Amino acid sequence: MNPFKFSMAQNQSQAVNMLVSNNSAALLGGGTNLLDLMKEHVAAPTELIDITRLELKTIEKNALGISLGALAKNTDTANHPIIRSDYPLLSKAILAGASAQIRNMATNGGNLLQRTRCSYFYDIAMPCNKREPGSGCAAMEGFNRMHAIFGWSDQCVAVYPSDMAVALSALRASVRVLQQDGSSRNIAFDDFHILPGQHPEKDNSLKHGELITSIEIPENKLAAHSAYVKVRDRNSYAFALVSVAAGLALEGARIGDAHISMGGVAHKPWRALKAEAFLKGKTASTANFRAAAKAEMAAAKPLSHNKFKVEMGINSITNALEMALKG
Amino acid sequence: MEKEEKNKSIGKGIDRIDGILKITGKATYATDYPAKNMAFAVLFKSTIAAGRITSIDAEAAKKSPGVLTVITHENAPKLNVKGGLRGGALLQGPEILFYGQHIGLVVAETFEQATAASHLIKVTYQQEAHQKTDFEHEAKTPVMPKGKELQDFVKGGGKAAVKTAEVTLEAQYETPIEHHHPMEPHSTVAIWEGDHVTLYNGSQIINGAQTAAAATLNLKPEQVRIVSPYIGGGFGSKGGQWANLVLCAVAAKVVKRPVKLALSRQQMFNSVGLRQRNIQKITLGATKDGKLNTLAHETISHTAINDEYIEPCGDCSKIMYDAPNALISYRSVPMHVILPTYTRGPGKSTGSFALESAMDELAHKLRMDPIDLRIKNEPKEDPSNGKPWSSRTTVQCLKEGAKAFGWEKRKMEPGVNKIGDDLVGYGVACGTYPARQRDSSAAVKLSLKNGQVFATVEIAASDLGTGTNTILAQTAADGLGIPVSQITMNIGDSSLPPAAGSVGSVGASSFANAVNDACTKITDELLAKSGKQFFVRPTARELMISENIAAFQIRSDSKAPVDADQYSCHSFNANFAEVRINSVTGMIKVTRFLAVTGAGKILNPKTARSQIIGGNVWGIGMALSEESIIDPRYGNFATRSFADYHVPSNLDVGKLDAMFINEIDLVPNKMGVKGIGEVGIVGVAAAIANAVFNATGKRIRNLPITPDKILV
Ligand SMILES: Cc1cc2nc3c(=O)[nH]c(=O)nc-3n(C[C@H](O)[C@H](O)[C@H](O)COP(=O)(O)OP(=O)(O)OC[C@H]3O[C@@H](n4cnc5c(N)ncnc54)[C@H](O)[C@@H]3O)c2cc1C
Ligand code: SF4
Repeated sequence: MNPFKFSMAQNQSQAVNMLVSNNSAALLGGGTNLLDLMKEHVAAPTELIDITRLELKTIEKNALGISLGALAKNTDTANHPIIRSDYPLLSKAILAGASAQIRNMATNGGNLLQRTRCSYFYDIAMPCNKREPGSGCAAMEGFNRMHAIFGWSDQCVAVYPSDMAVALSALRASVRVLQQDGSSRNIAFDDFHILPGQHPEKDNSLKHGELITSIEIPENKLAAHSAYVKVRDRNSYAFALVSVAAGLALEGARIGDAHISMGGVAHKPWRALKAEAFLKGKTASTANFRAAAKAEMAAAKPLSHNKFKVEMGINSITNALEMALKG
Repeated sequence: MEKEEKNKSIGKGIDRIDGILKITGKATYATDYPAKNMAFAVLFKSTIAAGRITSIDAEAAKKSPGVLTVITHENAPKLNVKGGLRGGALLQGPEILFYGQHIGLVVAETFEQATAASHLIKVTYQQEAHQKTDFEHEAKTPVMPKGKELQDFVKGGGKAAVKTAEVTLEAQYETPIEHHHPMEPHSTVAIWEGDHVTLYNGSQIINGAQTAAAATLNLKPEQVRIVSPYIGGGFGSKGGQWANLVLCAVAAKVVKRPVKLALSRQQMFNSVGLRQRNIQKITLGATKDGKLNTLAHETISHTAINDEYIEPCGDCSKIMYDAPNALISYRSVPMHVILPTYTRGPGKSTGSFALESAMDELAHKLRMDPIDLRIKNEPKEDPSNGKPWSSRTTVQCLKEGAKAFGWEKRKMEPGVNKIGDDLVGYGVACGTYPARQRDSSAAVKLSLKNGQVFATVEIAASDLGTGTNTILAQTAADGLGIPVSQITMNIGDSSLPPAAGSVGSVGASSFANAVNDACTKITDELLAKSGKQFFVRPTARELMISENIAAFQIRSDSKAPVDADQYSCHSFNANFAEVRINSVTGMIKVTRFLAVTGAGKILNPKTARSQIIGGNVWGIGMALSEESIIDPRYGNFATRSFADYHVPSNLDVGKLDAMFINEIDLVPNKMGVKGIGEVGIVGVAAAIANAVFNATGKRIRNLPITPDKILV
């Protein structure tokens, strides 16, 4: 870890100003990802701006749905009574991630911005385009069992690790951001995280100098019919091999709208648009679920070590939809 | 008699005497020793696997804030590389033999300064043309190992006899590299006084660490003191010592200050050994009713490029079953990887995975209950050398375990026991580990204060966290006739009477017999001193009081019984696993596990149970999740932190049960203690893999059994 300056922001605009005035400063939420990256020498900000004093910790209903403060803790979010009753998918996804201790520290904003767990990214002796643009991608021809099967590029095959974000994607949330000029903008969840393309160093569409203030989830009719399935190498405290957040808005026996997003398969939460489109208006049945899953996974491009993710993806989508149907 | 038993401490499951110290943070582990003016050393490592260093530019690091010195092969003091440390990496030259070899250390005022400066060092290398880091490739051309015990063992007609068998089974099993990863990473505090150095360092073998450190530093043993009263686990990785121990002393010598050197978790992957990768081929031949006629166990393992350690995977196969024709063989694959080393249940845990999976496969082929197959092939004497067993509890373990576990609920047909989406399966597997006693000495010091007798017991034993302190205090309590609360244990220091190590399951038997002998000796001497005759032999306590002796002490030296060698002495176990597998996701949970162990006298059932279930938990990790993967292009570990190396979490571990056979076997040693540290993991992975087969009908022969292997 390199020496760095530690600053404390008292309010939102101060946080943004501090960030703007130092190009190599970083915001500090729970620190559960950033500090690890600093210890591994992957991140070396010259200044840490502690934002945990900011009053962005509330979880509130509003006219459109619910607003999650960027600095509310993952644990408090998952256990919030309204989240539990009206957005159980989010609660389940958060609780499927990390460990109780980490969730107690982790903030909602920080969770969205956690970086990939590609082990070559963490090992500074290895080539990695995400860490050091132009140095190459060690995972491409290397150990890529955990890596992407959708949307990867010749520059990077990493996956994005958050469970919470998979649920937020399925819930079609948006991210509210305070910009440098003091105004706010809303970024649709699908546009927030980005595919690696030619610039894997960028994980998302946030600009330096911007502060996430909240996550907005629109009201929905999924509460009774949603499920989160996470397949991992051990039963707790492991990142997803494949995960699926699924919600069904039913109209009688028919599916009015299917919400399906996947984790562990791409550089961002992967909206299963093909599966969603397939199911729209169809009967909610295992046969249709499996057909939808197959339609989605047909486009997968697995790497040398992760071919299993295709079959696992089909099973997991089917299973998540079945569980969602059962409620 | 009964009353006497009641007053005994041995055999009671008392709490650890140091438990409170540990949970309140007062137990002093290596880095807890304070020293004035401490400096901090941080190691930096090679980023190639094979070749040589052509230059090291440490200028920027030297100028970095707080840096006191940078030590590399260019300026390191001359050390004796044959001093007995494992794994080389002593900064004695530019050669690189494995990825992550130590190539230098930065010493600074603070740990953070040393770490930051270590990143400023620029190293250039000349890469060796043929880097041997691809096991798959190198294993095609293995070589004969050098070790005497690794030469081919052939009995009867060897493997060829399988041709005469009615039923045959041939299968190949693979186990990955695993790491020990004790909770406490290896760390040292070195303090010099003149030409004597004290090394605070977790050491499974106190005197071994002392002699190896001394020889490497070109000192006499008495110039080195090892202090290690508490150890945060070791599992073999703190048995032999590694370069970090001595490099800490070197750093302290160079900066003329006390130095602390602690490895990071990431550095643990290539600093202190590992369990090597093995390919094991088992060939079984049997009659239709299950009597074995041939058992062949052929192992290929990698080792370091310039040094050999091969875990004895064929050991279980040598003694577990009665087959007139047998072959046990080893081939080695030298690679540019850190030297492998003793790892819990060395050879037996991995070897039993192969053997006991194969026995399960054979049972399935014969449509026999796997327990019956084992009992049918129970050997009357040690099949490898014809020696009589001192005692053998395999059949008892199997029978009592089957009853307690509810084995009769197992379905013979795999894949039929379903609960919703879940498949349920039962598996059984046996294990064994040798029972030995090694030479150890102990001192007992008694004092009389206000009519109460207090004892201090001194022995250079080590406590890995297993409860050695506690069982030795219990042994002394019974040997002296005083309560445990009046005994002070003083262990883990090379200035104490020398002892064996906490390795190879010899700790409990060697230490406890030494303490017991010392108690007998002090009682004898007190008796002699009293000059009196007694009807009933008094205890040391009674003599101290009746003779009003203020203080008395002795030291005694214990040796293993000479005739133990005439017998084959082992602990045995039978493991029972129940797994539940989600057929949709492939995720596995071990819902129940029972280990039944015959390990002679159980000194403390509570610490013994912890030992066994601890071994079981690692066995669960071995079966389901633990794997270190080398990227052959670089030779580094692609799994390099606890995010990638998956030890079991609480949710992976269901209900664990440990049962002990009530066994009296005084052949291996006077106290009848056989040791439980190693055997607890032996057979565990096989029991789980067999349960996975029973649940799914899928035979997975390469560990770990991750969800993808279940699905595909
Ligand atoms: C061992 C381990 C296992 C884990 N397992 C899982 C898992 O299974 N599933 C899972 O989903 N997660 C897992 N995690 C990740 C964990 O969820 C994240 O570390 C955590 O959510 C990050 O939140 P934080 O507040 O601590 O972020 P920080 O580390 O504080 O910040 C992360 C990043 O976000 C930026 N940031 C923080 N807040 C804001 C804001 N308001 N506006 C703009 N930028 C901001 C920071 O500058 C930094 O770049 C695991 C973590 C560990 C260490
Ligand atoms: S997959 Fe991405 S993060 Fe991983 S090594 Fe390649 S570029 Fe780096």
